[in-house]
Amino acid sequence: MKVHYYPGCTLKEKAVNLEETTVKAMKILGVDLKEPEGWTCCGAEFPLSEEKISGLAAPARILRQVESEGGDKVTTTCAFCYNVLKRTNYALLNDPLKHKRINAFLKDDIKIDHETKDKSTGFDPYHGDVSVVHLLEFLRDEVGFSKIKAKIKRDLSGLKVAAYYGCRLLRPYSEVLMDKPDDPSIFEEFVESLGAQVVDFPFRQECCGSYISVSEPDVAAEASYRILRSAILGGADIMVLSCPLCYYNLDRRQGLIKDKFLEFSGFPVLYFTQLLAWALGEKISTLGFNDHYFNPRTVLEKVVKSEVAQ
Amino acid sequence: MSGNGPKKKIGVFVCHCGINIAGVVDVEKVAKELSKYDGVDFSVDYVYMCSEPGQKLIEETIKERKLDSVIVAACSPTLHERTFQNVMTRAGLNPYQVEIANIREQDSWVHPDRHEATVKAARIVKSMIEKVRRNQNLEPLAVDITRRALVIGGGISGIQAALDIADHGYEVLLVEKEASIGGHMVQLSETFPTLDCSQCILTPKMVEASRHPKIKILTYHEIESISGFVGNFKVKIKKRPRFVDPDVCTLCGECEKVCPQVVADEFNMGLSFRKAIYMPFPQAIPGTYTLDIESCLGLLPIRCGKCREVCEPNAINYDDQEEIFEEEVGAVVVATGYDLYGLDNLGEFGGEKYEDVINGLEFERILSASGPTGGQVRRPSDGKVPKNIVFVQCCGSRDPENHNPYCSKICCMYTAKHAMLYKHRVPDGNATVFYIDVRTGGKNFDEFFQRTIEEEHVLYVRGKVSKIFKEGDKLIVWGVDTLTGRKVEMEADMVVLAMSMVPSENAEELLKKLKISTDANGFLSEAHPKLRPVESLNAGFFLAGCAHGPKDIPETVAQASAAAAKVGDLFAQEKLYHEPTVVSAEEELCAGCGICVPVCPYGARTLNRERGVVEVNEILCEGCGACAAACPSGAAQQRNQTDEQIFSMVKAILKG
Repeated sequence: MKVHYYPGCTLKEKAVNLEETTVKAMKILGVDLKEPEGWTCCGAEFPLSEEKISGLAAPARILRQVESEGGDKVTTTCAFCYNVLKRTNYALLNDPLKHKRINAFLKDDIKIDHETKDKSTGFDPYHGDVSVVHLLEFLRDEVGFSKIKAKIKRDLSGLKVAAYYGCRLLRPYSEVLMDKPDDPSIFEEFVESLGAQVVDFPFRQECCGSYISVSEPDVAAEASYRILRSAILGGADIMVLSCPLCYYNLDRRQGLIKDKFLEFSGFPVLYFTQLLAWALGEKISTLGFNDHYFNPRTVLEKVVKSEVAQ
Repeated sequence: MSGNGPKKKIGVFVCHCGINIAGVVDVEKVAKELSKYDGVDFSVDYVYMCSEPGQKLIEETIKERKLDSVIVAACSPTLHERTFQNVMTRAGLNPYQVEIANIREQDSWVHPDRHEATVKAARIVKSMIEKVRRNQNLEPLAVDITRRALVIGGGISGIQAALDIADHGYEVLLVEKEASIGGHMVQLSETFPTLDCSQCILTPKMVEASRHPKIKILTYHEIESISGFVGNFKVKIKKRPRFVDPDVCTLCGECEKVCPQVVADEFNMGLSFRKAIYMPFPQAIPGTYTLDIESCLGLLPIRCGKCREVCEPNAINYDDQEEIFEEEVGAVVVATGYDLYGLDNLGEFGGEKYEDVINGLEFERILSASGPTGGQVRRPSDGKVPKNIVFVQCCGSRDPENHNPYCSKICCMYTAKHAMLYKHRVPDGNATVFYIDVRTGGKNFDEFFQRTIEEEHVLYVRGKVSKIFKEGDKLIVWGVDTLTGRKVEMEADMVVLAMSMVPSENAEELLKKLKISTDANGFLSEAHPKLRPVESLNAGFFLAGCAHGPKDIPETVAQASAAAAKVGDLFAQEKLYHEPTVVSAEEELCAGCGICVPVCPYGARTLNRERGVVEVNEILCEGCGACAAACPSGAAQQRNQTDEQIFSMVKAILKG
C-alpha cells in the first residue's frame, strides 16, 4: 500500500521521535509513505489564526503538489498540520472568494516537471480535492484496526492508557470533522486495537495551552497539569497523543509543572506512533525515549513483560 | 370555441377576494372576456363570492337564467368548494355542476404582472368551463359504519380515550404492546403542580378501564396492519405469547421465586432487577404474571421448567403461540406515547458511562414509594444519599444543530418538582438546576416553580452545561452562568438530565406501516394545527397524548377526551358519505392487464382473473387518478375527470 505522507517540519526537527516511529510502524504494516516533492512548512497555526489569504497559499501548494504527483489523499501525523491542511481544503471548497485569491497566489508558481526537470510556466489550479487524513484515520479506514491487532508482538493487556486528543484533531468541528468533538472515540479504538486498556479520561479534549506556552508558560503549565492529573486520577500508566505542541506542553514542560504543583512527580507521555511501533515489535531503545523529559521506558517495561506468542 | 360536448348554459362568477385577486388580476376584464365564450350565458365579477350576498348572487342567477353549470373563479377549492356546492344544492342543481377556477393561489398570489396574470386567469377559467361542460350529475357514495373503536397504546392518553368512547356507548379495543397498561404515567412518583401520587390517581382509571363492559384490553398485543377506510377498518393484531393464562394465574408468586433468570427491570428503568417470569408492578392490569421469553432460559423442561413445576393452578403453558387475528373497527385513536432521548446521545455528560448520571424517568423511580429505593433518594452506584445534586434542563431539546430543535415542554416543571421532592427528602442537601429559561405556562405552574426557589431554596443557574466527568467519588459539572458571564465548576454526587421527549421508538415502525403522517421530528401531524388539532390527515385516525408532541398529563387527558369526542361524532352519523369522483373500470374496455392494481395506493382495485377484468371498491378509491394515468386502454376513467375532459381543458388553456 502506498500513500502520500506529509511529515511537516516539526517532525524533522523537534519531534523526530514522532517521525521515526511513524515510518517504522508503517513499514511493519506494509505501508509505503511517499513525501510530496519540495514540500514546505504548512504554516502551522498562522495561516488560520488571521484572515490572511497569503498564509493559506503554502498548505494549498503542498496539496496541489500531491495532486500533481497523482495522489488523491495525503496522510499526516502532526495534529497541527492535519488541522491546517484540512481547513485549507475547507476554505477552497466552501469560499469561492478564497478559492479565487489562493489560486491567484499559486498562479505565480513555476511548475516543475519532476521527470524531465523541465521548468515550464504551466499552472494547475487547486480546488481542495485531495483528501487529508490523519494517520489514526488512515490506520482505521485503510489499514484496518483488526489488521494491526493481528500484527501485535507485545502483550499490552496490562497497560492502562489515557488517549489525549487535544483540540486540533477535533475542532472546529464543521471544518475538521474527524470525530464527534464532545465525545470522540477513534483514539480509544486505536489504543484498544493495540490490546491495551483505555481509562476514563475526562480531560482528553481539553486544551493544553497550545502556543501560549511561549508567552505565558505558567498558564500552559497549569492547563497541562490539569490534563495530566485527570489521566493520573483515571488510573492511567501512560498518555498517548499526536501533536508535537501538546507533547511539548505535557512532557517537556513537566519541570515547570513540578515546580508549580508539588504533588506532581512526573508522568510518561508518548506519541501514539511510539506505542504503535513498540507494540509491533520495535526495540524500546529505538523509540527516541531519550528525548523525553519523563522517559516512559521504566513504566512500559514494568507493566508490559511478555511478548505475544507467535 | 369548442362546440363539442353537451350544450349547457354556464354561469361564470369571478371573485375579487378584496385585493387578493383584484389587486393583480383585472377581474372585470376576465368576466367580460368570458361572457363571449362558447356556452357562457352569464358572466360577472364580485368583491367576495364567498360572502352571503355573493352566494345569493350565484343562487339567484342560476334560478333566473336557468343555468346548468357554474364556474366560480376564486381561491383554492380546498377552501370554498363545499360552500359553492351547497349553493348549487340550494339553487336546485347537482353540486357536481360547479367547478372552482383557482385564480388566487395559482395566479394572483404568484404573478406580479397584471397583464400576464389577467391572461392566465382567463385561460384557467376557460379550461374549467371545458371541464364543467362535460361534468355529470353525481351522488355521494353512502357507506355503513362499524361503531367500534381501536385505541393504540395503553398509557394515560389511551386509557382516557378508551374510557370516554366506551362511556359514549361504543365498544373499544385497547391494544398495548407491554405486559400491562399504565404507560409512563404509572412510573412517575408525584405529579406537578399538586404533588398527587401518580399511581394513586392513575390506577383507579386503569381498574375502571379493565372493568368497563365496553372495553376489551389486549395487553402484550401489537398492531400488525390496518386496512380499509374510515368507518370500516380491518385491523390485524398480533398476540405475543405470554405463556401464562391471565384467567388462571392466582398471583401466588411461586413461579417468580424459583425462576433462576435475573434481568434488568424496565419498569424501574433498569435500577433494579426482576425475574424472567414477572409482574411489571403490583397494580399491573391485567393482574397476571408474564413469561418474558427473551430472558427465559428456554421453554424445554429439560433446560429449566421450574416455573411450570411450581405453578399449582397450572396457569403456565409453554406451548403458547404467537397469533394473528383480525378485528373490525370504524375509528382509530393513536396514543403511542413517547420515549426519552437516549443518554448515549450526550456522551460529554457521561450518561452511559457514569451510573450516577441518570435521566428524569430514572429519578422518578428513585423518588417513587414503589421504586427500587422505596422512595429514599439514594444514588445508583453505591446507594449513598446524594448531598449535592445537579439537574440539567433541555438535554437534547432546543438544540437544532446537534439534537432536537423543539422544546420538550414538561421538563421545566418536572425538574422543579424533582428539586422540590429532593429537598423534602434530603433537607440538608443542595440542589442546583441549570436552565436556558424556565417555561411554566400552565395553571398554578409558575406558583409551584416560585415555591421551589423561595421556600425550598433550590439554586437556579441560567446557563448550559458543557461537560460532566468523574473525579474519584464525585461528579464534576462544568457549565456557564450566563447572567454573570462566568464559568461554573461544581461538584455533585448525582446528576439528573432532563432528556428530550421523542416519539416512542416502537411506534415509529408502526406509524410508517400505517402511513400515518408525521412531522419532521416523528410526532403525529394533526389535520390542522389550530382548527383540527386531534384529527390526523388520514381520515378515521385521531391523535392523543405525546405521540402528537410533548405534553403534560392534564393536556394529554384533555386531548384524549377530545379525540374520543371526535370518534363519538363519527359514530353518531347514520352513514358516512364518500366523494363520488372515483375511478371506475369500464368492463367493455378493460383488457384485464392488471397494470392499475399495483399502482393504486389504497388497494381499491383487484383483478378478477375468471372474468378477466379489474373490479373497483369505490369506497376505498380516493380519486387520486394514478390508475387512470396508468390504464393503457382508457377503461379507467375518473368521474368528472375523464381523459376527454382533461384533453379539452389542455386545449382550452393552449388556445388562450
